[in-house]
Amino acid sequence: MGPSRREFVKWLSAGGISVSLSHLASAAGVPFAAHETLPGRGKFNPAAKGAGRVDGVAKVTGAKLYASDFRANDLPGWPQATSHAILVRANDATHVYTGLDLARLGGALKPSVVVTAADLDRIGTQVPDFYAGDLFCPIGTTPLYLGQPIALLIFEKFDAFDQARLALRDGTFIQFGEETGPVVVPDYGAFRFTRVAGPSPDKPDVYSPLQAGWVSPKKVQSAALPVWSPLAKDMPADYAKAAKYGEQIRAELAADDASMLVLDREFETQSVDPMFLEPECGLAWYDGKGGNLELLLGVQSPYEAAESIAHLLGKARAPYKPAHINAQFAHVGGGFGGRDHTPFILYVALAAVCFPGKPVRLAHDRYQQFQAGIKRHAIKMRSRIGIDRATGKIKAFAADHVLDGGGLAHFSASVAVVAATGAIGIYDIPKVDVRTVAVHSRGVSAGSMRGYGILQAMTALEVLIDEAATELKHDPIDFRRRNALPQNGRTMTGNPYIVSVRTPEILDKLEKHPIWQQRAQFKQASSDRLVGTGVACVTKDYGSGADGSLGRVELGPDGKIVIYCDHVEMGNGIGTALANRVAGHLGAIADEVSVARVDSYDVLGLVTSGDSSTIDQKTQDAAEKNPRWVPAISSPTSSSIGAHVGTHSAAEAARVIFRFGLWPAALELWRIAKTDPRAGQWASASWQDGQLTMPGLEPLALSVLAATAHARGFVTGAVAHSFSRWAWSRARFPLSGEQYRAEIDALAIRKGSGKFERINRTSVKFPPTDNNRIGTAYTSMCGTVVRVEIERATGALRIAKAYSVFECGTALVPEVVMGQAQGGFAMGVGYALLETLPPFEGGPGNGEWNLGRYLVARGSDLPLRDLEIEMLKPLVPDEAPKGMAEVVMIPIVPALINAIHDATGHRFRALPVTASLLKGVLA
Amino acid sequence: MTTLSLTINGQKHGPVDVRDDLSMNDFLREMLGMTGTKFGCGAAQCLSCAIIVDAPDGTSTTSPTCVAPAVNFNGKSIRTVEGHARDGELSTLQKAFIAHFAFQCGYCTAGFLNEGQVLLERLSRTPVAREALEQTITDALDGHLCRCTGYIKYHEAVRDVILADSSRYLMATK
Repeated sequence: MGPSRREFVKWLSAGGISVSLSHLASAAGVPFAAHETLPGRGKFNPAAKGAGRVDGVAKVTGAKLYASDFRANDLPGWPQATSHAILVRANDATHVYTGLDLARLGGALKPSVVVTAADLDRIGTQVPDFYAGDLFCPIGTTPLYLGQPIALLIFEKFDAFDQARLALRDGTFIQFGEETGPVVVPDYGAFRFTRVAGPSPDKPDVYSPLQAGWVSPKKVQSAALPVWSPLAKDMPADYAKAAKYGEQIRAELAADDASMLVLDREFETQSVDPMFLEPECGLAWYDGKGGNLELLLGVQSPYEAAESIAHLLGKARAPYKPAHINAQFAHVGGGFGGRDHTPFILYVALAAVCFPGKPVRLAHDRYQQFQAGIKRHAIKMRSRIGIDRATGKIKAFAADHVLDGGGLAHFSASVAVVAATGAIGIYDIPKVDVRTVAVHSRGVSAGSMRGYGILQAMTALEVLIDEAATELKHDPIDFRRRNALPQNGRTMTGNPYIVSVRTPEILDKLEKHPIWQQRAQFKQASSDRLVGTGVACVTKDYGSGADGSLGRVELGPDGKIVIYCDHVEMGNGIGTALANRVAGHLGAIADEVSVARVDSYDVLGLVTSGDSSTIDQKTQDAAEKNPRWVPAISSPTSSSIGAHVGTHSAAEAARVIFRFGLWPAALELWRIAKTDPRAGQWASASWQDGQLTMPGLEPLALSVLAATAHARGFVTGAVAHSFSRWAWSRARFPLSGEQYRAEIDALAIRKGSGKFERINRTSVKFPPTDNNRIGTAYTSMCGTVVRVEIERATGALRIAKAYSVFECGTALVPEVVMGQAQGGFAMGVGYALLETLPPFEGGPGNGEWNLGRYLVARGSDLPLRDLEIEMLKPLVPDEAPKGMAEVVMIPIVPALINAIHDATGHRFRALPVTASLLKGVLA
Repeated sequence: MTTLSLTINGQKHGPVDVRDDLSMNDFLREMLGMTGTKFGCGAAQCLSCAIIVDAPDGTSTTSPTCVAPAVNFNGKSIRTVEGHARDGELSTLQKAFIAHFAFQCGYCTAGFLNEGQVLLERLSRTPVAREALEQTITDALDGHLCRCTGYIKYHEAVRDVILADSSRYLMATK
């Protein structure tokens, strides 16, 4: 069984602490627009006529939305004054930490409280497993990693805090002694994915992870590249079996076979920062008497944040242990994965319990965010590919990946798995063997970030494919088409995708585009510049394979719609997507959409147990007998699941309201008897301009239908939960005398203006636990063709023209989808050409990095008027939305490297390709 | 300490004593609670903290607030994102940003809005030729970082406001 892809959140209270989560509606009474419920009843809603986002007005007027906007006096019931904390972090991880010299903080600058490792035993904290490692580096030990926290300094007054942070800026007050070298820590995870296809596509695989499970060598030798001992006696039996097939594949690739082209290449990617614009921030207030701990946070994973804080303080001693934790969640100013499971929130809570009675704000500045924020993994990859020269078909692929996970494990093992299982991209390869290991280092922690390992693996692969096509003198697009995985082909874990595979269509579009057609014409180099064209086509999974979703929809007697969702708005337009998806069922855009809302589903009474990624079928079968049990309750807003998962439960709730509320109301208004055949033809009804229409019948306005549904006690509200493990859970519910079947596993309804009541499911079918052996079953494709111009004298590269084409099923908010595609392209350009962080002493862990030194793409780096992006129309009108936020940033990266090769003849095998590197090869 | 008086969005603030090393960003966000002006980098590199400074001659410029001491603004008149809408009516540029889905997370929006507004006002005084418009917009907005959008929709929003009132912002074609 594989490792957990995500740390799944169990809804529990730790150590007797009760936990609640809410959104910022409690701030609604203050005289500014502090609503996370947007746009708010009666307020201008740009989304109502498709002219903007539900959060549009709030964001152009500077409303308080983000965690960093709030102070204690913004929050009802909190004390008025805000205190401030500084989290001091280690800027050395090879010498013994000997203490802090705070002499420079004399007089008014003296911190009110200093919290160090020595205080943690007294407080009685326990570190959540996911963040295993010392919360603070103890005196007398070498820091585990650069950026490891050393102390919290808390200042009651802002002026003291403000001056202290300037006084401490140079970091020289952190004292170190003897040199020890870096701390040695076991690897975070090592895995092997091997597949040998059967003799033909319709025959079973000889061996696959789907058949045999995921395997791990358990231990890896420490070396620049890991040295597996596949057949050694101490390897687990299941690993030895995979290794036997894997080594056969490698032996075939190493054989001297003239009929095969074999390329053996290395590629290296760099560490980068998500560089979301709002540095991490949190606000907390503990009453100090064993009572409430109030928190205001901005994260992608609200359930996880609350649970981790509860765990942190679950065994704390009096007076540090709160009886109740109430966490509120704000919009986030960018996420890109970097706010999913962030350890930052633990220190926000610690600051509060160590300064009781005083609200404390902990906020990174940009130096601190670079020093401590979760990074993208640097990966070293060695890939071998074997291609039959006669047919141009790829016969075998083997790769070794080494991921630098930095100081905390975070999602390193998971990223390693995703990168490995996605390593063959869009291709159909019958023999594959990928070994991967995520290692600890003294670098800043790496974890989840947009692209999640696939960005790195696709870049190495598509550059390799380009080289192979060149070697074989094949057209690069035709070579890709020849080897593309067909719709029902098997991925390298042995399963087919269960969603559309539109690679051929994308390749056709790329091939026909003028940028590609005119590549020879534009390649005519001039004396001062070189021109080249490159192409790449990639696929990226969406979903984590264990995704929970919560949604609640209410319809008022006046037809006003309110939606609640547990997913977080981080710019991805989840609020507007929810409104649009619910409108498909209820005929109108919601008046209020409340995101990051995790307090609205208690009526379902959900419980969970175990780990949905590792649970066995027998245990799941036993657990599901409890009608309130689900494999996972809620998921972080990550993995490109906003459209697919984040909106699913609300959409299903709306479907219930239509089917058992508005439809019976319509039948009454149309005077259609239940025995009339038309009474069962709800699927034939459609919404047009806010009116429900049926052929031959008078259109009915939503407001009239809603009033009737309320008056007659029909369903006017629904709360739903759903779970996806590469397929949705399905359940039956007794409703209005029938067994209603839907892709949900828990349901509550409200009739008329009554209270919500849970409807126990009568049967449920959760996706089988063997689905955990699937790498991914959900995927989206994107291709890019790009033309670059490179100045010979300076190496300056200009993107002259680019075209990206992608598919995403039904786009819930097409304008947001296009915006994400444009933004993904920009982030890809930065990754390919600009962004890099040195791994250790000269890197961001030294606390000296900021923008200016770290370059991200600006408008002038991009082809703002020469970028064409095409979103393919859904294959069928009701095709489900597919995650696209990650895949759109990927193909531009290898396409640029391939274009640079086309222009210069030099094939770069490491990122980023900066102007100075280009100048070097042109010299 | 220095005594600071200034006008923000048409309203007079001060006199109030502030530390000489207090940043304008902290004066707005911590002292006045005006958090529409964001803090991004603290190094004047992202300009999510930019505000508008109105000069007595009727011209305006933007200024970062994260590295600028509050006392530098003594006696000056500034505008922030909170001041663009009048009597509840959004400005033309605010409406354009919404209509174009120009932003995603929105954290950079205040800076782009202020820069775009200054550009509009500059062009209304000194129009440019149509063929110079795209580069003019790129030059004006290029100091501002956005990590979500790829900038295109911001540029399109500003451009469309200008083209919708071309006689005001562009040189007359001969």
